Amino acid sequence: MQGGAWLPIAFEVVLLVGALAVLLVAVVAGRDRRFWGPAAGLAFAGAALAGVLQWREVSTSGAGLFFTAQGVSFAKSPMVVMDGLSAFGAIVLGLVGFVGFLAAWDLVAKVGRRGPELVSLLLLSLAGLHMMMATPNLVVIFLGLETASISFYVVAGFLRRQKGSAESSFKYFLLGSLASALFLYGVALTFAATGSLTLYGGNSIRDFFSSTIVTQPGILLAGMALMLVGIAFKVSAAPFHQWAPDVYQGAPTGAVGFMAATVKIAGFAALARIFGAGLVSQVDTWTPIVAVLAAVSMVVGTVLALVQSDVKRMLAYSGVAHAGYILTAMTAGVAGVPAMWFYVSTYAFMVVGGFAVLSTVSGSDSSKVPLDDLKGLVKRSPEMGWLMTFVVLGMSGMPFFAGFVAKVFSFVTATAVPAPWPANDHGYLWLVVLGVVMSVVGLAFYFRIIGTMFSTPDDQAELQEAGLPVRFAVIVSAVITVAFGIVPWPLIEAVRDAFPI
Amino acid sequence: MELSDYLPIALMTLLGIGFAVASILVSKLLAPSNPTPEKLAPYECGIVPLQDPVERFPVKFYLVAMLFVIFDVEIIFLFVWAVSYKEFGWAGLGAVVVFMLMLIETLAYVWKRGALEWNVARRQRYRRIVAEGHLEEAA
Repeated sequence: MQGGAWLPIAFEVVLLVGALAVLLVAVVAGRDRRFWGPAAGLAFAGAALAGVLQWREVSTSGAGLFFTAQGVSFAKSPMVVMDGLSAFGAIVLGLVGFVGFLAAWDLVAKVGRRGPELVSLLLLSLAGLHMMMATPNLVVIFLGLETASISFYVVAGFLRRQKGSAESSFKYFLLGSLASALFLYGVALTFAATGSLTLYGGNSIRDFFSSTIVTQPGILLAGMALMLVGIAFKVSAAPFHQWAPDVYQGAPTGAVGFMAATVKIAGFAALARIFGAGLVSQVDTWTPIVAVLAAVSMVVGTVLALVQSDVKRMLAYSGVAHAGYILTAMTAGVAGVPAMWFYVSTYAFMVVGGFAVLSTVSGSDSSKVPLDDLKGLVKRSPEMGWLMTFVVLGMSGMPFFAGFVAKVFSFVTATAVPAPWPANDHGYLWLVVLGVVMSVVGLAFYFRIIGTMFSTPDDQAELQEAGLPVRFAVIVSAVITVAFGIVPWPLIEAVRDAFPI
Repeated sequence: MELSDYLPIALMTLLGIGFAVASILVSKLLAPSNPTPEKLAPYECGIVPLQDPVERFPVKFYLVAMLFVIFDVEIIFLFVWAVSYKEFGWAGLGAVVVFMLMLIETLAYVWKRGALEWNVARRQRYRRIVAEGHLEEAA
């Protein structure tokens, strides 16, 4: 095999080797995190580098399908795809993973000798998440989904002696398994209806639709609906969001940012891959459903975030609302992929940064983070206070922050393509109007967070100094939030090439 | 796919449910009912049950069971490779070696973490008692 043949799976290979290396170093050299920590950091950075190499390869020699099974009866079905979507996803996942890993560094210190396990779970989950977006095969997508999900069930319950952490893990496991099962059932029904598990390549679902007119789409519709439910669950879109607040609140704060951000990236990329590219001929069937999901997510997320008293729950519901805004972009079908990428890649950094600040305020192993913990944060720790203000402003969609550009991009995309239902040329205008209204309503709870941080603290106690990696993670997140709000053009140019084939 | 294509499945389902219900009904109707306390007691290999059957038992059994399952699955993969290792060639051998190295490394890690230690709690208690010099208590 030539060296170039490994490039399509380089991201996964680097992370798997990194995960094993962390465990090996911990066994051989000792459990001190200074020994194996750099190996983990290198693996995350190497994964992002692999993404950059893939991106260059795709832009010079074009996208391609790889690892085609040969000599097998269901041959010509490729297992790996390298295109704009998977390469851009690799870069974003690698960078967000690296920053999220740094944000979890204090937690790694607290779990002591179990640190190597936590970090290798994070590495493995990232490999699984990229597998979801870098394959045209529905079963491999499911395998990637499970690799990531099972890792995250364990991470959520990593502090198993804490009641909140155990509860979080158990709820995530039960509901997540149900969602995975539904997704798999959807895959099975789609296979029954089309006779193929491959989105494209030889003998694929796309070929089926180009040569067949489906007269009785019952089974196909059920399959598509179930796959959509599975993905909506993973990205916590309403009405499949009920797990998110409990899981986010109970899971150790230091790792929540990593979990929340990377799952959203992969979930939306998989949505773009399966529905945007694979089921592109059925676009008139699924965009109305996505539009309804988006509308429900925006309303439910925003309204329920208003009444929360715990910041982690608030950010969880805000994540539900953001899933709605991203789904708004996807109502344009495959044309919505650039807006989806812009939104999800900037939002991911905001999530990581936000939870990293919470972990410095309430402790990286904390479960609950009541709003009062943030009281007077700007006075107690000006650095963390101001950076958190930037991150929260970015989430709220204020002008000159990345969240604003992302929302505008998403709304413009949703109105650019004619909508099938209700049939008109202006796309999902009603959805965009709803989105703008909900953005304004959402300002209420974002400013509640900011107002609490700028209030007078109860006691003038200085905040305990956070570790350097965590501070670095917060600074990177805030800088990205501000930079892509003021100068969004480089990223907008890049995401225009991040299409699935 | 017509709806009538599902008729065999529906018949099979009905047949399955019907058989189960019929078996229970028939044994209920035909069998003589003469319960005695001995007959109602849970069966434990003919011995008189001494304690509640639901019992706590150490979590380390699960740990060993999980490790066993991992290496069981490894064997399944190795069988597939072993029956046709010539066709797979060097690439197949390399893949199997990588696969096994991953599992062996995992075993090394859990071994080092003490997953294979038995009776950790009792040994620690024994050491503590010995260290405090109350050896007769431990006996």
